[in-house]
Amino acid sequence: MEAKQYIGEGWKHAILIIGAIVVLLPFYMMVSMSLKSQQEIQSISGGLIGAQETQTFPVCVKTGYSEEECTMKPYKYNYWFAFEKAPIPRYLMNGVIVTLSIFIIQVLVALPCAYALAKLRFYGREFVFSMVLFCLLIPVHGIALPLYVMLAQAGLVDTYSALILPWTISVFGIFLMRQFFMTVPDELIDAARMDGMGEYAIVWKVMLPTAIPALLAFAIFSVVAHWNDYFWPRMVITGNRDLFTPPLGIREFRGGIDSDEFGPMMASIVTVTVPLIVAFIIAQKRFIEGITLTGMK
Amino acid sequence: MHNSKAHLWFIAPAIILMIIILIFPLFLAGGISFTDYNLGNKTFEWIGLENYDKMFNRKTYVKMIWATATYVIVVVPISVILGLCAAMLLNSLRFGADIYKTIFFLPVMATLLAMAIAWEFTLHPTLGIVNSFLANGCGGAREFIFGFHWLPWVNSEQSWYAVACANNMDFPYWLKQKNTAIWTVCFIGIWQAFGFNMVLYLAGLTGIPRELYQAAEMDGAKSTWEQFKLVTWPMLGPTTLFVVTITTIRTFQVFDTIEILTKGGPSKTTYVMMYAIFEKAIQQNLTSIGAAITVVFIGFILILTFFQRYIIEKRVHY
Repeated sequence: MEAKQYIGEGWKHAILIIGAIVVLLPFYMMVSMSLKSQQEIQSISGGLIGAQETQTFPVCVKTGYSEEECTMKPYKYNYWFAFEKAPIPRYLMNGVIVTLSIFIIQVLVALPCAYALAKLRFYGREFVFSMVLFCLLIPVHGIALPLYVMLAQAGLVDTYSALILPWTISVFGIFLMRQFFMTVPDELIDAARMDGMGEYAIVWKVMLPTAIPALLAFAIFSVVAHWNDYFWPRMVITGNRDLFTPPLGIREFRGGIDSDEFGPMMASIVTVTVPLIVAFIIAQKRFIEGITLTGMK
Repeated sequence: MHNSKAHLWFIAPAIILMIIILIFPLFLAGGISFTDYNLGNKTFEWIGLENYDKMFNRKTYVKMIWATATYVIVVVPISVILGLCAAMLLNSLRFGADIYKTIFFLPVMATLLAMAIAWEFTLHPTLGIVNSFLANGCGGAREFIFGFHWLPWVNSEQSWYAVACANNMDFPYWLKQKNTAIWTVCFIGIWQAFGFNMVLYLAGLTGIPRELYQAAEMDGAKSTWEQFKLVTWPMLGPTTLFVVTITTIRTFQVFDTIEILTKGGPSKTTYVMMYAIFEKAIQQNLTSIGAAITVVFIGFILILTFFQRYIIEKRVHY
């Protein structure tokens, strides 16, 4: 019996390990290419990190750097040259600006509305709530074209506003916060009113603090979705490099897949992809909770 | 209780934004789809159903519907079943489940665009490790396994693997070849989606009370498969319904991998709807036909979601 169970366990691990290898394959490829020299990439040799022989890189010399500046180990060169070629910090900063603005505005809009829907009694409340439920069905990517037409008419294409505006309303956020506020006892709010607090103060000083765990999950949900979003930025940002978000940057790096050097290209892609993955590995539980939030509907 | 007008200030911004950003565009798309309007034009004319007529009769758009349907029909069931299998395997492990969970969830987290490029290189005909792995395995165990020589009806000299080996390592160009591109893109879609489904199923599995399994065992359901049929699968009904719906909606929206890897080609075999909207409306400035595709797209999604709600109300109640 015991032995049989161990064999069963062994088989399960064998299957899962094969699955894990397939899942990790592109990650391996990405990291490995960002460390190796062009020759090693083209001959598919050198394993994960390559031989790391110090050498002079011809593309770098052609770009106008001195031979001395272009002589170093491949891994160093790949990352150094990636940052020389493209304003990577700028792209990352744009990603931060856009995702944070989206999240903050979403909360500013959703929180009071959710509070009103959960705790205030007013004429038309049911109607507003059914409107929220209906809007929950509309995928924003699906209506991207009419939104684009509207933004184009308003002359907002190629601006930060175009990146942020369509996402300022998160009906999902309203729904989620409303469900959460329903569980907050009325006495808490009544007590606050007795103390002479106004409704505004109640929203931001009483309800907001109680909602921190839900907000944190929502933050992860929102930030991950918009950090990774490629479709919308691709629609509204046409050529202005200063507005590129990380995925648009990735697209630019890829550019000439057959002509360019692959090492620096992969190094830029790794640099842009890594922050989120590191955050995920550090705070796994929270991330899984946040991203599968849609599962709470 | 309170007599202020505070609630108006609380709900007004949300309502205004909902109307402008979510509801009005629906009507705008519907309206534009009946005209010949292109962005930048001063005037337009009503042309009735002409755009829709084109959509269902022109070859390009018929191919678009095919590509989208193929992608959805392949990716949804496989990623749901893989997610379920992974969740059940992890649930029955004694140790190490957390590590696998993290690994399988990585693709969900990682920027899809970056991963698409990584896959492009992994599957590259000359630089990729997949094809070099296959080429090095000619005549060996890899040929036996991946050439499906272990299946009784496969002739070991005519399997795809053996033929490729014999023809000077002529392995598929995966993303560049008409008969493999759509399946390769599907594969990347499955790779990306199944971890998400796995996590939802893991949550569903923890909700099943242990006693049910004991009861099933007493009723004679001893084998794992019988217990699965009797307890696990029915208890996971609501989870499955939810997982299927959300995966379908996400799958319909596939764009990143197509835009960066195939551009809808070769010969429109991967020309999915979101990419068609982007290409027609943004790159070729054919706004009205893009709007018609948008309307059909939204129609699909709304039907799906209503269908899900309907089943939830009707059937899946425990």
